[in-house]
Amino acid sequence: MRIVAPISRVAEVALLAQAGASELYCGMMPPEWLGRFHALSVNRRPSGNLTRYEDLASAIELAHAHGSTLSLVLNAQHYSAAQGEAATEVAERFAELGGDALIVSDLGLVQSLAARLPGLRVHVSSVATCRNAGAARLCRELGACRLILPRDVTIAEAAAIAAEVPDIEIEAFVLNDGCIFEEGACHTIHLPGQLGGPICLDRYQYRYRRRDGGALSPGLLERLRENDESYERWLWYRFSCGFSTTPEGLPYGPCGLCAVPALRRGRVAAIKIAGREAPTARKLASVRMVKSVLERVCGGEDDTAVRRFAMELRPSEAHCATGFMCYYPEVLRAEVN
Amino acid sequence: MDGPDHLSAAAKAAWNAHMNAPELAVSAIHAVALEWTTATPAERERHWFRLHGDTDLAAWLAPLQPTHVHFGSEFCEHLLPSTRSLHQALRQAEQAGLCLALLTPLASPDVLAHLARLLPMLPAGAEVVVNDWGVAHELATRFPALRPVAGRVLCRMTKDPRLDARWAGRCGHGLEAPAMRGLFERLGIRRLEIDMPVFAEDEALDDLPLPAGVHLPYVYVAKGRMCRAGSLSMTGPERFAVGRRCQKECLRLSAVAERPGRGDACATVQVGNTLFSRHSDAMARVLRHAVGRGRVARLVVPGEPL
Repeated sequence: MRIVAPISRVAEVALLAQAGASELYCGMMPPEWLGRFHALSVNRRPSGNLTRYEDLASAIELAHAHGSTLSLVLNAQHYSAAQGEAATEVAERFAELGGDALIVSDLGLVQSLAARLPGLRVHVSSVATCRNAGAARLCRELGACRLILPRDVTIAEAAAIAAEVPDIEIEAFVLNDGCIFEEGACHTIHLPGQLGGPICLDRYQYRYRRRDGGALSPGLLERLRENDESYERWLWYRFSCGFSTTPEGLPYGPCGLCAVPALRRGRVAAIKIAGREAPTARKLASVRMVKSVLERVCGGEDDTAVRRFAMELRPSEAHCATGFMCYYPEVLRAEVN
Repeated sequence: MDGPDHLSAAAKAAWNAHMNAPELAVSAIHAVALEWTTATPAERERHWFRLHGDTDLAAWLAPLQPTHVHFGSEFCEHLLPSTRSLHQALRQAEQAGLCLALLTPLASPDVLAHLARLLPMLPAGAEVVVNDWGVAHELATRFPALRPVAGRVLCRMTKDPRLDARWAGRCGHGLEAPAMRGLFERLGIRRLEIDMPVFAEDEALDDLPLPAGVHLPYVYVAKGRMCRAGSLSMTGPERFAVGRRCQKECLRLSAVAERPGRGDACATVQVGNTLFSRHSDAMARVLRHAVGRGRVARLVVPGEPL
């Protein structure tokens, strides 16, 4: 099982590879893209990108020198015809520099890039929202060799897809950076904070109503109020306990560390650490956490021991018990049962 | 399209403006009464007003006799119909003289398995609105007699209701890109469903690569797999988790979502796991203009109030 981690600076490559990341991924925002399209959409992130091909070349070289690989992210929600051409040019430069894989969200682009650049692996981004065996088969037929599942899947679903379509690798999220809506089905922009930020964190106030025009009963209103309170709490967990870390710099959830044994049994080939825009210290701590758990899993420790170790890492037993910090809360269900 | 004799003055004016009448689909998650679809335009006008509370919209739609019922769910795996419910809907549609198109959501493995039971029930040539590439692939490989239509989730377009005109350049789509056209062709997709662009100009729908159904009067903004309303009866780790039971609270409840002090142009409504925003006056005007120019193959309107 491979650990996949993000970089946004060349200096992070050696650090993360030495810490245990077997694959690294980055975004690239060439200056000409912005000049041409006036849009920060070569990939899904407005920042956290490399901006010079020289840096991309160095990152590739360093990754290889440390036994890791480097993937380039091309995962905008959609590309116009001209943007698709420009993204293809970026991919070609990446191939010339010796890069290893492209992470692509647009299935049309997956097809054309796989045909055009046969020397590169193509991984289908989680933003493509492919989460069943039919979609996995299509990705394989289009030339992809890996499917990165979106965040909101269960372990059983990941395992079922891996079992049904064994000729495509499956990658699943394991740590950091939750989404509320499905990323590929969210047609919004992460606005600057002063304009509201991501829509899921914007300060919307909800006024409930019955769709048939009737009145809401006091009992239902009370249940809705309680549900909203609980939702706010879940939201806090979903975004890394209010974007905090432990005093030692270890990130909170969303977290799937306890699920690593089950994901491995389910033939998930790679586990993904999210957060290209995060500080280096958070990325490094994330890789170390995942690596330490995976070592125990590979060393034969049973699920209970692995779970106990994972919960004591930060430590975070109380947070973990809520299930709100989990990518795969069914692990807790299994524990209860 | 019916003659204008029975119409109100507003509806007559609207009828005259329909230079190129599109098909009209009524969307429904569960079996709804369809008798009104064959009623007089005046009755249809009253019906549309009851559903969506908009005089102009009701008058504009009234002359168009519905041609299709879009049945199922574009957004939620829990709202996919049972075989019994689909059977009933097919019968109702036939009685009302409507073609039934099956709406399908983003699909988990369970949804794909359920669709394997539903799809054989559809008559040859029936449309299936797909919002998942895996469902599109299944149709292409296992159900070639059915006609896949790319739904709104696949036809991506930035539609953030909080944006002002300064962001107009960021609100396009990539449907005309050769890569996407090639994918549609590979999967046998020959129709699209889209929302109105948030900053639509008169030519907004001119560059679509395939005949398009356009939704109104709401734009779908974002959908989750997690459902806030659907967590109402859940406790503990089950709450807000995926792959759990659902009591379908969204069929009875919705929420108006407001940002105090922001002055957003469009009203935003959350229904179940999906956020919608209502068309602005400008979007409605551009849509009517596009219909008049024959750029819209079908209009798709919710058959229930949001």
